[in-house]
Amino acid sequence: MAASLIMETIPDGYEDEDLIELAAVGRSHRAVRFDLTHGDREDLEAQHYHEPKHTNTLQRNSWSSSTQRVLSSMPSRSIRWNQTAVLSQNQSRSTKTRRRRRAPNPVSTTSSAATRDVFRERENCADDVTQDEELLNKLQDLPAGESVRLLREMPLSVSKKREIRALCFSWELAQPLSENRALFCHRFQACFLKVLCGCWLGGVSQKKSIQLWQKVLKNISARFGTGILSYFIFLRRLLLYNILFFLINGLFLFLPQISNPPTSSPSPSPSPSPSPSEDEHTVLWMLTGTGFLTDSVMFYGHYTNSTSGNCQAKMCPHNYNIPLAYIFTIGTGMFVTCVMLVYRMSKSFEKSFCTFKNTGNIALKVFCSWDFKVCRKRSVKLQAVNICTQLKEMLSELSCRKKKRNLCSTLGWLSVHLIVWSICLLCIGACMTAVYYFHPYIEKGGPIMVRKNDPVRFLTMPLVVSCISHLLPGFFDKLSKGEDYNSPSVHIYVSILRNLLLKGCIFSVLCYYWLTKINDGETGQKCWETFVGQELYRLVLMDLIVAVLHIILAEFLWGMCIRNLTFRRRKLEFDIARDVLELIYGQTLVWFGVLFSPLLPAVQIGKLFLLFYLKKTSLMTNFQAPRKHWRATEMSTIFVSLLFLPSFIGALMCVIYTMWRIKPSSHCGPFRSLHNMLLLGKQWIMDLGNSNPSLEWLSLAYLHLVDNPLFLFILAGLFLTIIYIHMQVLDGQKLIIGRLQEQIDHEGEDKKFLIAKLQVLNEERALSHEVNIWCFNDRTAKVVVLEDIVMYGNMCSIKSVVMESTVRLYIRLPEEHNEFLKSGEWDHGIVVTDLNPHVTNSELHDYFQKFGTITESDITIDKSSGWPKGVGFVRYSSSEEAEAAKADEPHTLGGFPIWINKIVTPKNRFDTQHRSFQPNLCVN
Amino acid sequence: MGNKQTIFTTQQLDAYQDCTYFTRKEILRLFHRYRDLAPQLVPLDYTTGPDVRLPYELIGSMPELKDNPFRQRIAEVFSEDGEGNMTLDDFLDMFSVLSEMAPRDLKAYYAFRIYELALVSFLPLDFNNDDFICKSDLEKTLNRLTRNELTEDEVRMVCEKVIDEADLDNDGRLSLEDFQHMIVRAPDFLSTFHIRI
Repeated sequence: MAASLIMETIPDGYEDEDLIELAAVGRSHRAVRFDLTHGDREDLEAQHYHEPKHTNTLQRNSWSSSTQRVLSSMPSRSIRWNQTAVLSQNQSRSTKTRRRRRAPNPVSTTSSAATRDVFRERENCADDVTQDEELLNKLQDLPAGESVRLLREMPLSVSKKREIRALCFSWELAQPLSENRALFCHRFQACFLKVLCGCWLGGVSQKKSIQLWQKVLKNISARFGTGILSYFIFLRRLLLYNILFFLINGLFLFLPQISNPPTSSPSPSPSPSPSPSEDEHTVLWMLTGTGFLTDSVMFYGHYTNSTSGNCQAKMCPHNYNIPLAYIFTIGTGMFVTCVMLVYRMSKSFEKSFCTFKNTGNIALKVFCSWDFKVCRKRSVKLQAVNICTQLKEMLSELSCRKKKRNLCSTLGWLSVHLIVWSICLLCIGACMTAVYYFHPYIEKGGPIMVRKNDPVRFLTMPLVVSCISHLLPGFFDKLSKGEDYNSPSVHIYVSILRNLLLKGCIFSVLCYYWLTKINDGETGQKCWETFVGQELYRLVLMDLIVAVLHIILAEFLWGMCIRNLTFRRRKLEFDIARDVLELIYGQTLVWFGVLFSPLLPAVQIGKLFLLFYLKKTSLMTNFQAPRKHWRATEMSTIFVSLLFLPSFIGALMCVIYTMWRIKPSSHCGPFRSLHNMLLLGKQWIMDLGNSNPSLEWLSLAYLHLVDNPLFLFILAGLFLTIIYIHMQVLDGQKLIIGRLQEQIDHEGEDKKFLIAKLQVLNEERALSHEVNIWCFNDRTAKVVVLEDIVMYGNMCSIKSVVMESTVRLYIRLPEEHNEFLKSGEWDHGIVVTDLNPHVTNSELHDYFQKFGTITESDITIDKSSGWPKGVGFVRYSSSEEAEAAKADEPHTLGGFPIWINKIVTPKNRFDTQHRSFQPNLCVN
Repeated sequence: MGNKQTIFTTQQLDAYQDCTYFTRKEILRLFHRYRDLAPQLVPLDYTTGPDVRLPYELIGSMPELKDNPFRQRIAEVFSEDGEGNMTLDDFLDMFSVLSEMAPRDLKAYYAFRIYELALVSFLPLDFNNDDFICKSDLEKTLNRLTRNELTEDEVRMVCEKVIDEADLDNDGRLSLEDFQHMIVRAPDFLSTFHIRI
């Protein structure tokens, strides 16, 4: 509480009194000058001119409230700020805040507006303009619907709102109809919105709950973080693609073929001929894909080239051209997968770009991630753990950026990397050669004398390949332990790269091997397509078996050993990169093999299901949460793009090459009579044009456009041009964004600079405001001089005040300057503001008499209007009495609340024209 | 339907509808939820506006709030006495703000109040018209969020980071402004700061 000091000179006649405001503008600490300004009607404002100084600054940079006000008047934030200012001030109901609230902006130049406000308040007989009333005024000006909306948005308690609303209503009784209508409209809108929102939210939650394994995944993400979660999500996505592919194949290829069995055609009859030797190994037909599987819908060779003319069942469609269906189904499946992959890739790019772009994501995680809807104990716990792991991931990501090395250790680090890389590359090369030479070796019989059709012969090769692809990554991983990476994600990228190299090399060696065999015609089967299909089928299956073995041996057994035998009792760590690469490898095989074995996706579906559950169980029992956490937004993007670029595109290339260049086997399969598979499409279109004249344009178009290399070249050129233009546009946009960001940064710096200046200014101003002086005097008063107001930091002392006129001077000092009062003798009293103009002096006197003996009381009168200004003074005989009056707040006089402040006046009155008042120097 | 009319007068219901984001039906449903917490305390007749407060222990035992780590703060923020004892008005207020219809600013305001755990009492009276989230508040919030799973170091780091990221005016604490600015960038805030009742 600021104590007020009244220095009174000659008590003039009230009619001569005028209020003069002394606004402090001096900045220098030594000599503070005071400007003398006339403030005819600003007495009310003058009351509140005192700027409370934020004295005990807890923070170095905290802006004082005046700075904040200036900030609030800046265009960019003003609306928001004002709104929140109203909101927050509504909350605190202390007198102090209310009074401050009414204080006009001291720095702003809109004092006239403020004056007008004051007057409007007066006219409303609202000397007690409280918050509510101001709000009411505001609400009243708005249309009813709008005011209801505003009322709802105010952060007040409902009871308070109801009060306001009641008042509003009483004022708006003049137009109840419009209000009701507006309300009704609003209500309707609200209901509509609510329904929409509900639908949307419900839809979202439903969509989430429908997804496969939702619960398991939630559990995993809580316990192991998003990194490991990304593996499982990836697995689920692969499953989805395979299911889709399977559905397409099943509907358009498998079912027609089943309903149109090729028994009529004698061609597949040789299939039992190799069987006698295989009979004893029937157990293994599942693994090898030989035996009766050779001639089943599983593989290419079984499909006919008939147009289903010999359809027995009535169900089957007529004229169903199986070869055409074959080529189109595979094509459609590939196309759909491609579209989905691209879509997914773009989505995840977008996501990772978004999350990495803005920097404020830790704050968001802390404040916005808690889902208040969650109410079950278990899920609450899960959510807490989840948030915790994610925070850790973010932290580790942040902390790993800081590491730095010196030159020597950099060299060491580089050499270690070089060595590891060379070892890895050597290993890969060795594996390639091994696979390449091992294959014919096994073909020839190898060390163990196996019979020609022994399934072991078929299975050795896939086993070797799978073993290599499973074990070598583990070896790489061990090697890379020696390397010291900055962040776990870099580590993972490197190991992904190595694994990718390994698998790509092995796969290309296999392809090369098959190609040579096909060209040599040594496949040992009637259909080389079936042979390749079987090879791939075996590879896929063997991959699964090795993976299962790996899980059992390396994870369960080894994990158990580690847990129980070692002293540290730690668990294994999940190698995401390796496992994801396994998945991608398997998927590549499937995509490649789908041409030769249309039902391979079905096998893959089963494989993925099995893998998911095994991995999940193994994860839960054998693995620990990764010590280094890292985020997976980026990783999932990488995984999807890996799946697309080397894997899918590679498989697609192989398939297209096969269709285009390699002659299909001439004795079996749907394309037996053709030179290459793609010719079929051409033939079909030509036939279409010949048989149906109305479609002749199609064949013409095909002939002239698709078959014409020139046209294709032009098309590709156009395509590339468009891409190039888009890229250029994108680059330009990036440039613009960068510049805009720079601009924003600069603006922010400017603003910061200005704010800092402003703050300095305000601090000085606040210092100078510690002494606020107003005086009532007649209009003839010319000069009021204060000499030597000395400021030491935030201390202040008044040495002397010299006045050359008949003035009554108010000096208000902050509480800490109470010491100052001890340096003289004082009369104590109170100043009353917000007084009802109808209250007379005697009423004032009577009212305040109950607190003590009143020596003097008066009410100031505006000379020009003759109305009281709403300010009165009461002087008590002792300080305690004034204290009592002050302590008895709130006061109501004349039907309205009034505000009082304690004041003191010096006992030694000045009675001459030239007076000097000289209290002792005070230092607090 | 008959007894519904006796709980509130039409004016009361209108007033509640204007002051909250609920329809008539929902208000009545919420009233019954409120009453079910303590049937012996809450009268069935609210036309006279009885002054009934349910203690925090009862409010906190609602299934919607029971396991929420911020339940105490929620109750304190929305109750008029600041101690979590709630009248029907406060109760309606709470679920109105937490409903899906409440606008972002209102939600952000109350979220800010909830996270600002320690009311700033050591600042001068003049200055606390705006409260702040300072580091100690953040630490408490974090500990509640993660059930004390983070180590002290991590908590400190997270706090520093959060203040670093969200504090626009460099005063070492978060004001309502900072908070709202941050919330604007959170797409899922509206759906997470929401209790379905």
